[in-house]
Amino acid sequence: MTIQRTLLSLLPGESAFIEKLDVGISTCKLLNLGVLPKTKVTMVRKAPFGGAYYIKLDGHQLAVRTEEAATIILENQI
Amino acid sequence: MKISKLNIALLGNPNSGKSSLFNHLTGLRQHVSNFPGVTVDKKSGTILLENGVEANIIDFPGTYSVYPNSSEEKIVINILTDKTNDNYPDLVVYVADATQLERHLLFATQIIDLGLPMIFVLNMIDLISEQGDILDIKPLEKYLGVKVIPVSVRNNAHLDSLTHEISAASQQIKGLEIPIKYIFTDVENFAATRIQKSLSTTSLYTAKVIAHHYKWLNHLDEDQKNKIKTITEQSAFNDLNLQVRETMDRYNHFAPVVRETIKVAKREKKSLTDKIDDIITHRFWGPIIFFAIMFLMFQSIYSWSSVPMDLIETGFASVGNLLTNSLPAGWWTDLLVNGLLAGLGGVLVFVPQIAVLFLLISLLEESGYMSRAVYMFDIIMRKFGMNGRSMVALISSGACAIPAIMSTRTISDPKERLITILVSPLISCSARLPVYAVLVGFVVADTDVLGIFNMQGLVFMGLYLLGIVGALVSALVFKAILKSENNSFLMIELPNYKPPIWKNVFLTVKEKVTSFVVEAGKIIVLISIALWFLASYGPGNDLEEATTNAQNISIEKQLSDQDRDNLIASYKIEASYIGHLGQWIEPAIKPLGFDWKMGIAILTSFAAREVFVGTMATIYSIGSDNDEQTLRQKMASEKRPGTEINVYNPATSMSLLVFYVFAMQCMSTLAIVKRETNTWKWPIIQFIFMSVLAYVGSFIVYQLMT
Repeated sequence: MTIQRTLLSLLPGESAFIEKLDVGISTCKLLNLGVLPKTKVTMVRKAPFGGAYYIKLDGHQLAVRTEEAATIILENQI
Repeated sequence: MKISKLNIALLGNPNSGKSSLFNHLTGLRQHVSNFPGVTVDKKSGTILLENGVEANIIDFPGTYSVYPNSSEEKIVINILTDKTNDNYPDLVVYVADATQLERHLLFATQIIDLGLPMIFVLNMIDLISEQGDILDIKPLEKYLGVKVIPVSVRNNAHLDSLTHEISAASQQIKGLEIPIKYIFTDVENFAATRIQKSLSTTSLYTAKVIAHHYKWLNHLDEDQKNKIKTITEQSAFNDLNLQVRETMDRYNHFAPVVRETIKVAKREKKSLTDKIDDIITHRFWGPIIFFAIMFLMFQSIYSWSSVPMDLIETGFASVGNLLTNSLPAGWWTDLLVNGLLAGLGGVLVFVPQIAVLFLLISLLEESGYMSRAVYMFDIIMRKFGMNGRSMVALISSGACAIPAIMSTRTISDPKERLITILVSPLISCSARLPVYAVLVGFVVADTDVLGIFNMQGLVFMGLYLLGIVGALVSALVFKAILKSENNSFLMIELPNYKPPIWKNVFLTVKEKVTSFVVEAGKIIVLISIALWFLASYGPGNDLEEATTNAQNISIEKQLSDQDRDNLIASYKIEASYIGHLGQWIEPAIKPLGFDWKMGIAILTSFAAREVFVGTMATIYSIGSDNDEQTLRQKMASEKRPGTEINVYNPATSMSLLVFYVFAMQCMSTLAIVKRETNTWKWPIIQFIFMSVLAYVGSFIVYQLMT
């Protein structure tokens, strides 16, 4: 079994494609906000006091908490 | 054909420009009420259709999909699945952001599947051409099977054609042949057909949505819920997986349509929003800029509203004088001037602060800054059971808790919002300042320490800090006690920065001011009249005796007319119901170092904290309460009966200060909490916990200092 790479593994400025979402309570809301498999996601920066991330998707920006970011699984190729 | 007015619903995702369109369509012909049983704003208005018929238009809360995450979204789903609901739309005007078309299509296709007739408004097409993208609405129109109208609400572009289309569509609302855009799985089919049969809902998709949400849908009775429960259990209906499957499936279907509809030009590497956010959400500069903005906001609430507030106060005072002098003396003149008029003045005096705060907040909200603040401070506020947005409410409480509490509407989690409402009044507001100013001199002398700090300034700062600590600690306690219904999310959009639409800003300010004056005003005026009664009447003929006594003394001492009137006022308040009440509670407040005179001032301060100074002035028979200096001299020379001990010694004064930091002495705040939580339960709890905090705090301080 390979280790899954989540959004949290991206450093500021890095991008990757989303493979899937770990199904949980936040999944539907993430999908509603355009966090979809095969979409490119860019880690922009971490919040000043931590706990949240500024991310960029196809033409729009989102803020997600650490727990929410951890459910976003990335494809292995960059 | 319905006989009652046609219901048109504005639906769409948050940030779609839906409310701007609503403001455009209705202008001032709009009003705000609540959806039945909940404190979710229902904005509705009327529009005149081309055939001269009026239609109702309702601006529903912004919604992402039929799978809701907030109580506001739940209202929408409750209504859309219930044909018998008064707010059930005859026609949906769906508003979508053309630059975010893919995401905004999700809810649109769901609404079509629910069987609702729709006009699809593609907003912000000005940005599409600005970005150099090419728009072709035909593929979208073909896919949706409804009329698509490209507009730009911001630039007033093509809005006439929209009114025309709404009129045309409302003329002949089609009986729908229900185009299901989502292919059901066997499980969904099994459950939905059975639910459809059992409830006789027309659309199969409505039945599926009900299968997901039946537990909290309030139009179903227990019997129906049990039936649906059985059906979903029989079919092994997995709520979460099916939600995800449906959402993914819809996206897969319309993604190609979106690519055909909008041909995207090559983007620049960094947009303007990216560049602004590099600074504004910077790890170091972000918070500094936030506090600078908050400081400016705080200052503006103070300084911009002080002149109109003074005008309102002096205006009411001179009208009062005029009435007293021109109307025949009698109890009803007194009631009119000192009860009703004083109460009205007490309401209107807050209007400037509310207007200024909401002007600034809606500017921040409209431009897109607010969600950045939420993102930056989410982690800190979450530790205290609140939300990034609570930060703004707590800071504006430093000016006045009333607009701050009104601003918590934007917090979607009910528990986080409630905690913010409950603790906001603990932050020292501007009304506490006069009380602090009178008393601080009795605690410490006006001297410098270490050559730079002023002792009184330090105590002042300490009082403000005490309020902040009190608010945060109480928040922690409430966080532990209160049960949460929703799971807390952050996940917010950080929309592109855009210049605010002034019409939206103006209408927000107007709505907040009106709702305060009307809703809280009623309660405040009633309490003012009650307080007037308690201060103007006494048991038996105590008041007459007091007046005669005072007159005799003033003849004996040969006092001037002015001094005589002041003395009479002082004797009268002592003999009134409230004076008796003050003496009655003296045993209870003695451990805090207070005497009955302070008791009276604390009781009358319930109208508003600054009344303390005025009441003290009356009790110590000083005519004008503006004369803090004279009042302070009187208070300073006051001795405890039979002793040489100063009444206003440092221990008592400090204890009184701590009491004013914590105590809930503002009926306007209680009235607004009642309005915002839709029940008396929370203002009562708030009053009790703050009183306990004040009592215990003062007790500890007094006992330690004596």
